[in-house]
Amino acid sequence: MLVQYATAVLAVALVSIHLLMQGVVTPYATAISFGNILSIYRNWLYAVFLESLLVVVLVHGFNGVRIILHEWNQSMSWSSWVDIGTVIATVASVGYGTRTVILAIFGGGA
Amino acid sequence: MNSAGSERVKNKRGVMGWLNPYHYNLERWAYVFQRVTGVAILLYVLGHLGDTSFFVGGPTGAGPSESSWAFVSGIVENSFGHLILVLVVLVVFFHGLNGIRLILSEFGLIFQKPSAIEYPYRPRSLKSFQRHLVWVAIALAVVAAAWASLILFR
Repeated sequence: MLVQYATAVLAVALVSIHLLMQGVVTPYATAISFGNILSIYRNWLYAVFLESLLVVVLVHGFNGVRIILHEWNQSMSWSSWVDIGTVIATVASVGYGTRTVILAIFGGGA
Repeated sequence: MNSAGSERVKNKRGVMGWLNPYHYNLERWAYVFQRVTGVAILLYVLGHLGDTSFFVGGPTGAGPSESSWAFVSGIVENSFGHLILVLVVLVVFFHGLNGIRLILSEFGLIFQKPSAIEYPYRPRSLKSFQRHLVWVAIALAVVAAAWASLILFR
């Protein structure tokens, strides 16, 4: 649960910034325009912020589902598969999101 | 009855052990909605990962693609998509603010001190400030959703 609480506090801060950037600080139509998104991905500070948001939110989310599933059944095999499945799902999702960030920064074509 | 320590306690209620509205108080409802909104947010985030990946051409892309981004924007940037975003803002704000309440209560920061048990035997943990925070979470979530509506449907 400590992981859940720590990622929760971080997620509240990071998601708040993300929502503010997507429609309050920057007008929504501008925020979702191709040029604006390209420029912010290639700002290393914002890229690090997005990557942090990705990791924190996915770890918090999948760990939360893991907690619910552990409560459902407490057999050894179920618990093992839930833990393995959580790690795989988290790594796969973070990997796919990180791919987007890396390709946006270093990828070819526009 | 088996010998001491040999029978494992099983959770035989499954999901209905917590997703059950019968005889629930405000804190229990907040707990149910914390879990329901959490799962909903996770599903939205996974979808969001998918649609934002079209910025770089989707699962098979190699870099920023304006045509690919225009394609996915054409699908999600409409009234229905904006309605989904307003609902996402609503559940995210509730989940986050109620989560802060849960963390504060877990560390005992918003409870009154224990007292003698007196009729009608209501626990101090279910009183005043802690309870008010549930309503604060709901109210702020509604305000945030209304503000998102103004931004998205202007």
